[in-house]
Parts: sequence; C-alpha cells; structure tokens
Amino acid sequence: MLEIDIKHVAKLARLRIEDEKVEMFQRQMGDIIAMVERLPEMESRVLPVDRANRMELRKDEIKPSLRRDVILANAPETAAGCVVVPKTTES
Amino acid sequence: MNLFEYSAGELHKKLLAKECSAVEITESVLERIDACEEKVGAYLTVTGEQAKAAAAKVDAKIAAGEEIHPLAGIPMGIKDNICTKGVTTTCASKMLYNFVPPYNATVMDKLEGVDAVMIGKLNMDEFAMGSSCENSHFKLTHNPRALDRVPGGSSGGSAAAVAAGEAVVTLGSDTGGSIRQPAACCGIIGLKPTYGSVSRYGLVAFASSLDQIGPMGRTVEDVANLYSIICGRDPMDATSARREYPDFAAQISGDVQGMRIGLPKEYFGPGVEEGVRAAVMDSIHTLERKGAKVVELSLPSTDYALSAYYIISSAEASSNLARFDGVKYGYRAEGYTSLTDMYERTRSEGFGDEVKRRIMLGTFVLSSGYYDAYYNRAKLLQKTIAEEFTAAFEQCDIIATPTTPTTAFRLGENVGDPLKMYASDICTVTVNIAGLPAISLPCGMVDGLPAGLQLIGPRFSEGRLFNVSRVLEQERGGLCAVAAL
Repeated sequence: MLEIDIKHVAKLARLRIEDEKVEMFQRQMGDIIAMVERLPEMESRVLPVDRANRMELRKDEIKPSLRRDVILANAPETAAGCVVVPKTTES
Repeated sequence: MNLFEYSAGELHKKLLAKECSAVEITESVLERIDACEEKVGAYLTVTGEQAKAAAAKVDAKIAAGEEIHPLAGIPMGIKDNICTKGVTTTCASKMLYNFVPPYNATVMDKLEGVDAVMIGKLNMDEFAMGSSCENSHFKLTHNPRALDRVPGGSSGGSAAAVAAGEAVVTLGSDTGGSIRQPAACCGIIGLKPTYGSVSRYGLVAFASSLDQIGPMGRTVEDVANLYSIICGRDPMDATSARREYPDFAAQISGDVQGMRIGLPKEYFGPGVEEGVRAAVMDSIHTLERKGAKVVELSLPSTDYALSAYYIISSAEASSNLARFDGVKYGYRAEGYTSLTDMYERTRSEGFGDEVKRRIMLGTFVLSSGYYDAYYNRAKLLQKTIAEEFTAAFEQCDIIATPTTPTTAFRLGENVGDPLKMYASDICTVTVNIAGLPAISLPCGMVDGLPAGLQLIGPRFSEGRLFNVSRVLEQERGGLCAVAAL
C-alpha cells in the first residue's frame, strides 16, 4: 500500500498537524487512499471536451460593485481602507 | 393541528381564505423552535424579528388585495453555507464564525422576490463535508424521529428542522448526497436538482462541479414549488444552464401508467439492510400496481463511484478552500510571525479534522506524480458512469434505488472512522458524478426509523420525478407528519 507523507502533504496545503494527531491522520489517510486506489484500468487517457455544452464566460465589463467599507467590514484587521497582513518584504 | 404542522400548500390556502395571518404562521414556527430546539439543535441562527417583519409585509399585501405567491409568508430555514446578506453564514466552521455576507446568494434574492420568510440558518457538517452533522464546529443536531440518532448530513439541520416542524420547508445543498441522505434519515422529501439548474452564486463552494442547492419539505408539492422558484439561468454562475423551466407544481399529474422503472442490481447488494430493501421494494410494488413496469438493469461502474467521488470532490475542495487564509474575512489566528505562519496557524486552527482530511486528500491526488493515477482516472471514470446512466435511460424512464443502505446510525457511532461514514453515501454519489436529478422520499419505517427511496431521472427530468413521487405520497397518506417531540 502507498504511504502518504502527512507532514509533506499538510505543508503543501498550508496546514499544520499537531504531533499527537500525526499518527491518527497517517492511519486514516492511509485507509482513505487504499479506498480511492480502487479504480479500474481505463483504456483512454484523454478527457474529451464537451463541445455541445461549452461553458460561456461572461464579458469582462466594469460594473458597480460593493463599497470598500462594506467589504472591509469582514476583514480581521484593516488600516487606511486596506487589509493589514504581516510584512512580506525585507526593508 | 398547529399551524407549524401544515404544508406550505395548505398554509397558502389558509392565507388566501384569511383563516390565519402570515405573522401567526411565523409565530407558530418560532414557538415550535422555542419548544423543541433544545432537543433537536437544528439552527445555528434564528432570525425571529426579521422573520416577523417579513411576514407582516405579506399580511399587508393580502390586506391590500394584492396577489401573493404560493411561498409568500412561508417560514423557511436556510443551510448555513448559503450567503444571506447581513446574516452570519458560517458553514458550521470556526473559519467563518464571524462572517456576515455583504450580498445574497441568487437563491435568496429569488426567495425574497416572492416574499418567503427566512426564519434562520441551519446546522450542517463543516463546509458540507460529512454525513451526520457531527462535523459541525458549533453543535450536534439530533434526529427528530429518534433523538439518539444522527439526522444525516451534511444538510442535517435542514432535514431535522423540516421533520421537527421548526420550518415548513428548507434549502440544503448536495455534493454527494447531502440533501437526499438526511432527508431519508429524517423521513422527509429532498430534491437534488440537475447540475446547472440552480444557481450556485453565493453557495460557499465545496466541489464546484458537483454542488447543487435543493429544496426539502414534507410534501411533493412544496418541494416542487420551492424548486420552481430557485431554478433558472443566472449570469452570475457560468455553469448555470440556458433553458426555460415550467411551473413544476402545476404540472404534477400523478400518473405512472406505462412508465418503466429501472432497478439497478448494484444498488440492492449485500450492503443494503434487509429492512431498507424491503421498504424500497414495497414502493416499487405500489408503482407496479399503478401501472408502471419494472425493468432490471445494471450500472457496472457503481462499484468504483465512491473512489471517483472522493478523489474529484476532495481535489476541488483543496482548491476551493485555499481561499480561507485569514486575510480578508473570517477567522485569523493570533501570535503569527510571518505571512506563511499566519496562513498555517489560521487554517490549522480554523478547520476541523474532516475538512483537513479532505484538503489533504485533494492536495495529494493533484500533486506531482499522482495526478494521472488518481485525478485523471477518476475524471475518466466519471465519464463512464455518466454514459452508463445514459444507456440505462434508453431502457427505462426513471431509476429507483434505496437512498441509503441503512437507517440513521447512532450519534457517535461512526465518529473517527471516516470510511464507515463515507459508505453511507454509496447510493447517492453517482447522481452527482453524472449531474442528474434525484429525489429522496420516505418509504416506510424500519425498526422505528425512516427508510428512504431514491428516484433518479435523466437531466432536467425533475417534473417526472415529482409525478412518480406524488403517486407514492398519495399512497402513503399525503403529508409527512411532524415528529412528536
């Protein structure tokens, strides 16, 4: 059976797994992977495009949108009409 | 009978005949919530004052002699992953514990447009991931038909509220069975509509190619009426279908003469409890007596559907839930030292274990080296499953199966065993994979617990599903009764 590296996958997903839960997740994810591995061999390898039902994207038009203060009302931290996040560049 | 026990159809007649007011209906449901919510726990938020104000508007319209819609003044509950302007929408997650949407989902605009009365927001499994409501960050919901049992999930609050009389109808959402499975567990009716028929704008995304919002209620007419309002093309959802829809409730004939009912053998295997199988077959025999013909058939890829479902839905979930990072809304962890640290702390503290499992499964199946083996193969299998249904519908008009292989399990029974929990979706996931409509109807009691019959139709055949459902509803004696609590 395939081993799943919980710490690595969690890192890719920007998650941290507490040490005491690593074993539980390792076991559960192993069971889940073993379940989803049960797939038949498929002859085709290429997914066809549904030409009859193409998704139509809307036109990229400027329209009225929500007010800035309405949107920022949900933000955890704001200053001067902007969302505040930790510094990402070196000074 | 108290007002909260009636169907929306009966309440509408009472409003027109001035036998009661909309405010009285809303007050009756609010009193019911007060009386039994402690036992059931269906709601995360009750919006009583707003509901009474909305009901008063309907009374004013009636007094002024204006025509009202069949759903005007009808108290309804909304699953807490559907955005409601100004009313907290949490997805039952710590991640969104404080999120107040600045806009309505399209379905909410449509409901407000016909003066429906929103009475509150309903409990669910966190981000709609689960089959028992036990993954809610906030509370447990109990099955009103047996309080020591789960209500099913993920729309467990939506099903429990209808069964308890804490709402006349509700909206749920269904990605792999999340409307039908709880409807079956709680002994009510739930419709998973054709993919693309109901706008997903404002539904917090779990697996965008599978998610659909759908109606739940105690009569086929109520479910059809609610569906007629919420369906339709929406430019805000690029996957919404361009087509016209009829008034479904007006078209229910209740005639199944000559209809071919397909029974796929894979759905009646050893995993299905004997009592559930017998209850489902009782309904099939009823349809035969009313002139339908039974066709036995096979959907051979069913066996692999659960694998394909968990790969596709988790892959999409890992991508959709990447937006929850503590920056623009929702929970943000404290004590972080950098942006990455903030992301990781926020997501680790904000998401529950089941959501983490699905995100990690999705991340894994999409990761380099595994994409072809898992995701691509699951997508190919999805096509095969859809083709098998298309072929089956050349031999029959609708397909009948159990909704769930067992009745509702005990609270706590499957916690900590994800695979057992996932197995309760075995009869429902194929419908989402193929984008089809399906309805779950109560089909009898097994050891005091409701069993569910699932009817599956070709794309956009909701009218046909309502027709067959009506025949069975009449046979059963009409309205699904509110649970005695």
